[in-house]
Amino acid sequence: MSIDSLMNQDIKTRCNEAYEKVVAYQDKLNATITAIDPKDIDYDKLEGKLKGIPVALKDNVSTKGIKTTAASRILDNYYPVYDATIVEKLRKEGAVFVAKASMDELAMGGSNLTSMIGPCHNPYDLNRISGGSSGGSAVLVASGAVSVAIGSDTGDSVRKPAGYCGVVGVKPTYGRISRYGIIPYASSLDHVGYFTRNIKDASLVLEVLAGRDDHDMTSSFEKVDEYSKLLNSNVEGKKILVFDNVVENIREDIIINSFNNVIKGLEEKGAVIKHVRFDDKLMKALFPTYFIIANAEATANHSNLDGIRFGHRVDGNTMEEIMINTRTRGFSSFIKQRFVVGSYSLFEENQERLLKKAQRVRRLIVDEVMKELKDADCLIAPASGNVAPLIKGNKSDELAPEYLIAENHLVIGNFGGLPSLTQPMGFKDNLPFGVNITCNPFKEADMFNIALAIEEITGLKDLVKEDF
Amino acid sequence: MNYDVVIGIEIHLELKTKTKMFSGAPYAFKSEANTCVNEIDLAFPGTLPCVNMEAVKKALEACMALHLDIDPLVKFDRKNYYYSDLPKGYQITQQFHPIGRNGYIDINVEGKTKRIRINRIHMEEDTAKQFHLFDETLIDFNRADVPLIELVSEPDMSSGLEASLYVEKLRQTLLYLDVSDVRMEEGSMRCDVNISIKPEGSDVFGTKVEIKNLNSINNIKLAIDYEANRQKEALEKGETIYQETRRFDEKTGITVSMRKKEGAVDYKYFPEPNIFPILLSDEMLNEVRNNMPELPDQKHDRYIKEYGLSDAEASTLIQNKEMSLYYDEMMKKAKNAKSALNLLMSELQGLLVKNNQNITNTKVQSESLAILSNMIEDKEISGKQAKDVLEAMLDGSDPRKIVKDRGMKQVSDEGAILSIVNAVLDENPNSIADYKGGKDRAMGFLVGQVMKKSKGQANPQMASKLVKQELDKR
Amino acid sequence: MEIKEIKELANRIMFDVNEEEAQNIINDFETFEKQLAILNEIDTDGVEEMIYPFDTPTSFLRKDEVSHVIDKEDALKNASKTKEGHIVVPKVVK
Repeated sequence: MSIDSLMNQDIKTRCNEAYEKVVAYQDKLNATITAIDPKDIDYDKLEGKLKGIPVALKDNVSTKGIKTTAASRILDNYYPVYDATIVEKLRKEGAVFVAKASMDELAMGGSNLTSMIGPCHNPYDLNRISGGSSGGSAVLVASGAVSVAIGSDTGDSVRKPAGYCGVVGVKPTYGRISRYGIIPYASSLDHVGYFTRNIKDASLVLEVLAGRDDHDMTSSFEKVDEYSKLLNSNVEGKKILVFDNVVENIREDIIINSFNNVIKGLEEKGAVIKHVRFDDKLMKALFPTYFIIANAEATANHSNLDGIRFGHRVDGNTMEEIMINTRTRGFSSFIKQRFVVGSYSLFEENQERLLKKAQRVRRLIVDEVMKELKDADCLIAPASGNVAPLIKGNKSDELAPEYLIAENHLVIGNFGGLPSLTQPMGFKDNLPFGVNITCNPFKEADMFNIALAIEEITGLKDLVKEDF
Repeated sequence: MNYDVVIGIEIHLELKTKTKMFSGAPYAFKSEANTCVNEIDLAFPGTLPCVNMEAVKKALEACMALHLDIDPLVKFDRKNYYYSDLPKGYQITQQFHPIGRNGYIDINVEGKTKRIRINRIHMEEDTAKQFHLFDETLIDFNRADVPLIELVSEPDMSSGLEASLYVEKLRQTLLYLDVSDVRMEEGSMRCDVNISIKPEGSDVFGTKVEIKNLNSINNIKLAIDYEANRQKEALEKGETIYQETRRFDEKTGITVSMRKKEGAVDYKYFPEPNIFPILLSDEMLNEVRNNMPELPDQKHDRYIKEYGLSDAEASTLIQNKEMSLYYDEMMKKAKNAKSALNLLMSELQGLLVKNNQNITNTKVQSESLAILSNMIEDKEISGKQAKDVLEAMLDGSDPRKIVKDRGMKQVSDEGAILSIVNAVLDENPNSIADYKGGKDRAMGFLVGQVMKKSKGQANPQMASKLVKQELDKR
Repeated sequence: MEIKEIKELANRIMFDVNEEEAQNIINDFETFEKQLAILNEIDTDGVEEMIYPFDTPTSFLRKDEVSHVIDKEDALKNASKTKEGHIVVPKVVK
């Protein structure tokens, strides 16, 4: 069910099928907040690269007239009066929206367990998490409901669930895709990303989503290539950096073996392999750096959620009471906890030792990685140290190196705005795991090529899990 | 005990742009509520700010006119606090990198020049407007996101007079720059005063009191004078002066406490992540510099140097921006600066007032007025005739057409006037006799008769000359 | 940190937390301190903060032309309380 094969099917049929699956799967997967019935679409008028292709949107993407909640109770009655830029772009190329996908509340999570509608389930094992925060989007692609789903990635929120769900997850360069209309998490780390089932589709979708948007003052002016036309799997002479800090901290042999296979395969295809190890202290600091910056920015970003102009207002005797009551009811405990810690870093007396410290370490981390990456084509590592954890699992020790590096290295792509992609690498006990490549800014064409080569090596593409 | 009064002033100025600071929504003063907004101004989730070029240009103009050092790297910051008139829960401002620093403006205090330094000018967005009813507050977001610049002076002023002169001079300068409507009554210019007193010559500053919501320059002066006195009396009595915000009550002429300042509020300022720093090109800076309107001081000096106007004339003219711009237009065509000025300020202005019009809505084109001035200069018509022509010009008519249609062209042909003169003299032998008898008034009468007989078209000076000439002959 | 302090921190960002939430936050702060210790092992003297992923400034500025306004109905349709074209809150006392 790649985009190509879908194009062979009658538009009305495939859109209705997609919608029906979205609805039918809801019971078991809990991946959708709002299903969108395409019954009123004028199929004859559709034109473009994604003509009649059903697409799911993460529910932090503003859709005019369609409820948009960011999986938070505070927005459970919010209907945007405008479309996000990417929604306009997708529609212009003929896409048909069939779902607003579930996510971690306000995108602040890595498990999709914090959504207001409850946990999202992994189709490969309903007892396991999908990963997050773009869990709903990943699951709708993995389960075969749609071939394309839009997500967002602030720390790894597209690339981690992609690994857990056996699909391709792309986070392009910062500014490559407009963020206008995307309910934010942390502005300097947020990227719009997306899921597909194969690399060719991934390259086509970027053509549609990418491009300068004057609404977004961080949007790039870089030319958008015809990625799908440039696509090839020639990696002759490509310099591939193996991320040893991550590999050395992975315990699962099957993942290591699959990974080594991929490396061998790339070498056989003519790529030049180099092992790199970055400063240990900097790697250990990945998560704390992310946590401080992300929470601080998120707290400020969501100061507009006060019930005054929109959102689920809870009444009070004064303006302040309305705000407090609205936010107390509207935010989950989890979010409140994050915000309190986040705001703490913003206090004037704390900024130097907390926010600014983290921002300085961010620079050191990016500099450290770029020292190697600027002369190479990509950094490669297993996307995660294990397959999707159980929903009712034990919380791992947050300070073990295992937790800090192997599970958090993807955030480097957010710190430096680097394009990064996760794709299926193998299976452990019928549960998928992925490999991630991170490249230099605006080198998405090279990234897709390397990814295509990997796809050929693993043979894993168009994976679907429908029998859950 | 003598005291020094230390005054600093913060001015918020609404910039005269077509759209908002960070969105392409329009702004029109007095529009129906919530009709000049879009999703960005309302801070709906997912919206992003988009910086207005014209706002930046106007901020640059203000910086250049007031001699501030300009930072060509434009950076914005967030000022975080929760309030119903602040949609995002933060205001986008320039806390750390204002667009301009360290400028000044010179004021004339009772004949002496005093320099008031300006610490900074920075850009920010305005808040929504709130209307307080009995038990509800209504919010109109039209004003939300309107571009503002904030001008912060150094505490260089030492009296209500100096403060009012500073504000007036700034207002006039900014009006000429056309960056703002600068109307305090309408809120496009808002002044907050910070005032403290200290023993004369002391290095230690006193407690600062803030006075807000001053809606006229006169009130600024009155409020400061009252407050300075209040603080002096308090100190004399050994009372504490609290760091607080006060408002000026116009009716009673006193300042009243609004709220005590409980220590500084933590606004958690941090750089705005949604706006990359913007580098202003030399090209753009030069374009702004070269296209800046002439400032009142520059006009004043030019009027004296180039047109030979007196200091008083120049000063009076620049008091009214529209008048001086009209005059500048006239001077593109007019030959005599002083008579052009007179025609404008006395004749036209008088007529406009009489007809309930003003220089901004008159149909009399500046070019037409210049032509009229030249016609007088060239003696095509007399000054008296010009008055009539001007009245006919009020509907926008061309003076040349009026003169032609009425056959008013002044006759300056000696021969023609001479025959009229002689005819008049022939008709008035008694007047000749009176004149010969020493009654000079008789000549005036005779000249008048010549003017009458020529239907006002005879050149009066020539008529006078010829009447005398012929009288002497007879 | 104490529960009372945590509740005040929460109030400063306009919400209430109950005892359980406050306790969780206290635990979070303990973890936070440990994470901070990791950051503090890194020498950041003379290093400039990274505010944006890229250091290159932009030169773009928006032309001052009316490009987008929404009608009053759209502006107000998500508000829970409106009156005569305005959004309503209880009387705000300065």
